[in-house]
Amino acid sequence: MSGFFENYGFLIVTIVQQALLGLSIYFPLMAGQLSLASIGFYSLGGYVAAVMGTHPALAPLREALGFWMFPLEWLGALVLSVILGIAVGYPALRLRGIYLALATVAFVQVVNVAVLNMPIAGGAVGIFGIPQAFESRLDYIWFFGPLFLLALFLVWRIGNMGRGLAFFAVREDELAAGAMGVAVTGNKVTAFVLGCALAGVTGAMSAPFLNTWNARQGTFDASVTCLAYVLIGGSRSIWGPLCGAALLVSLPELLRPLKDSRMILNGIVLVAACVYLPQGIMGGLAALRARLSGRGGAA
Amino acid sequence: MKRIVIALALVLCAAQSALADKVATPIPIGIAVAQTSNVALFGQEQVNGAKLAEERLNAAGGVNGTKIALVFQDTAGDEAGAVNAFQNLLNRDKVVAIIGPTLSQQAFAANPIADRAKTPVVGPSNTAKGIPEIGEFVGRISAPMTQVAPNSLKQAMKIKPDLKRVAVLYAQNDAFSSSETTTFQDAVKELGLETVTVQKFQTTDTDFTTQVTAVLGANADLVIISGLAADSGNLVKQLRQLGYKGLIVGGNGLNSPNMFPVCGALCNDVLVAQAYSPGAVDKNPVNKDFAAAFEAAYKKGPAQFSAQAYAAVQVVVEALAKIEKETGKKIADFELADLRAALNKSLRTGTYLTPMGEISMAPSGEVQQKDFYVSKIVMNPDGKTGSFVLVSE
Repeated sequence: MSGFFENYGFLIVTIVQQALLGLSIYFPLMAGQLSLASIGFYSLGGYVAAVMGTHPALAPLREALGFWMFPLEWLGALVLSVILGIAVGYPALRLRGIYLALATVAFVQVVNVAVLNMPIAGGAVGIFGIPQAFESRLDYIWFFGPLFLLALFLVWRIGNMGRGLAFFAVREDELAAGAMGVAVTGNKVTAFVLGCALAGVTGAMSAPFLNTWNARQGTFDASVTCLAYVLIGGSRSIWGPLCGAALLVSLPELLRPLKDSRMILNGIVLVAACVYLPQGIMGGLAALRARLSGRGGAA
Repeated sequence: MKRIVIALALVLCAAQSALADKVATPIPIGIAVAQTSNVALFGQEQVNGAKLAEERLNAAGGVNGTKIALVFQDTAGDEAGAVNAFQNLLNRDKVVAIIGPTLSQQAFAANPIADRAKTPVVGPSNTAKGIPEIGEFVGRISAPMTQVAPNSLKQAMKIKPDLKRVAVLYAQNDAFSSSETTTFQDAVKELGLETVTVQKFQTTDTDFTTQVTAVLGANADLVIISGLAADSGNLVKQLRQLGYKGLIVGGNGLNSPNMFPVCGALCNDVLVAQAYSPGAVDKNPVNKDFAAAFEAAYKKGPAQFSAQAYAAVQVVVEALAKIEKETGKKIADFELADLRAALNKSLRTGTYLTPMGEISMAPSGEVQQKDFYVSKIVMNPDGKTGSFVLVSE
């Protein structure tokens, strides 16, 4: 059993980490906004942590704080993400549907090019030799696990209060919600910024987890993958992102014995999931439960 | 209580058995390169080279008669994939050493894990600054470009002694190219040339009008390109089409036949710096054998990535043989942890005659390569195929 955790510790933590990114897309989706900007904030958060962890000018601060440097990095990423999220969110969220998605894709590209041009970010090689919080990769669950629980709690709590009802109203019909007196823009920006902040902090935790950080972490491909977690897992359930991430992250690893053909099977499973579970895994489960209980009632 | 004791005893047993692992036979050597994703273009070349090495070295008796077995784990193109591949090789396949990963960025993520597990890593294609510094157990046989670049520039000055104005172009989003270009720019300064313009592009670009116009406007008589095959091919093509007549020096990324179909006949006369040349066979019988065997096995000439992967396997096998010779103990009688430590030391002593010429590994893990090569692209009349013709030796 110890061998299992030694081998798959990294994978288990990666699932939670990626599920957090999925949740960061889920927040704006609660208010009906399809945003792919998360990965840009994830990338920025990672850079904040990487720079704070390695920059020689901050060495005295690191020495003084010890382990507490990590929470400070998270805080740095959080503050930056919230400020930037508001700055990007207000103009971008005037757009609707596909145009908002396009604007957020553009944002990810801008972040990427900007980062490549900033000497402090180490160019294309990125930043490496980031100080480690734990020896074992599995121990990083103490970073991502609590954050994940906190994010789940937030989603659940928001869903049950006025703010959440406002989100859902905006999601179902923006015009109607506005007519009923719901502050449409304010709610959209709030949902968007929540997602940005979560992605930023996840990034800040990921830099030490990966040992290194570079511009390849924040590519368009990565943002589509995050969206896939939500879509495959189920976009209307808080467990959707976790399910999607668990499937998409672990599948290539579980199929590792198949060698070269593993990517083919991986693709087949994903296509099958899209075709047969249009509502995602959680949606499929809910439909199954409804059918079973329906049958039980009839009998 | 009893159950807890039994559980503890079981855990202890498990831990004990893990500590007392013997080295398996045939001796497992891990290969963690990108067999899938967009990096597989390089990874497949490495697989070809490594497989050929396994076949030929085993045919020659392996490690003093004990065969080796390469264990392949796909890293794909990302950092997480490299970490997963390393974990599998370390914990499950119990390899004596790991050769990989393909990209430097992947090395920064995965190598610390092998270093913590005290298992030697030999980088077959990691050229970024800072790789050997990752840890005691990390080394490489792929030369960083610091020594190579000046060679190709000197060659260009030999061809055209009145060179003065240099334009530097590089792929900004590629780790290798952006570190190579700083080496080129330093070399330009050292040789007393003048940099008239520095232009950036992306490896995904196809239209280079902006960069070419800047080069033409600056009136450069030498262009230095650091990029990958497809983008650099297009860049060379557009430079020539828009009327650039001077010399072109390409970095190591242009050292690939994949460029030929892109720029066709316009590729002619591009000078390329190489860490490996299939043409350098006169002074190197090992390369002669390797190039012939590779040609026979894969029906094409070996690329640099293949030669380096071959060399990496060869270096590990020769280092293992050295351990047997020095200790008088068979590899299979070693405990895994002891062997890994001994191998790490052994790798860093002595020299190895590989297809790339004579190489050795400094105590830091950095490669020391004796010869570098400069070749010129010569296209065949069909305009689609061509070859690198050695101009220096």
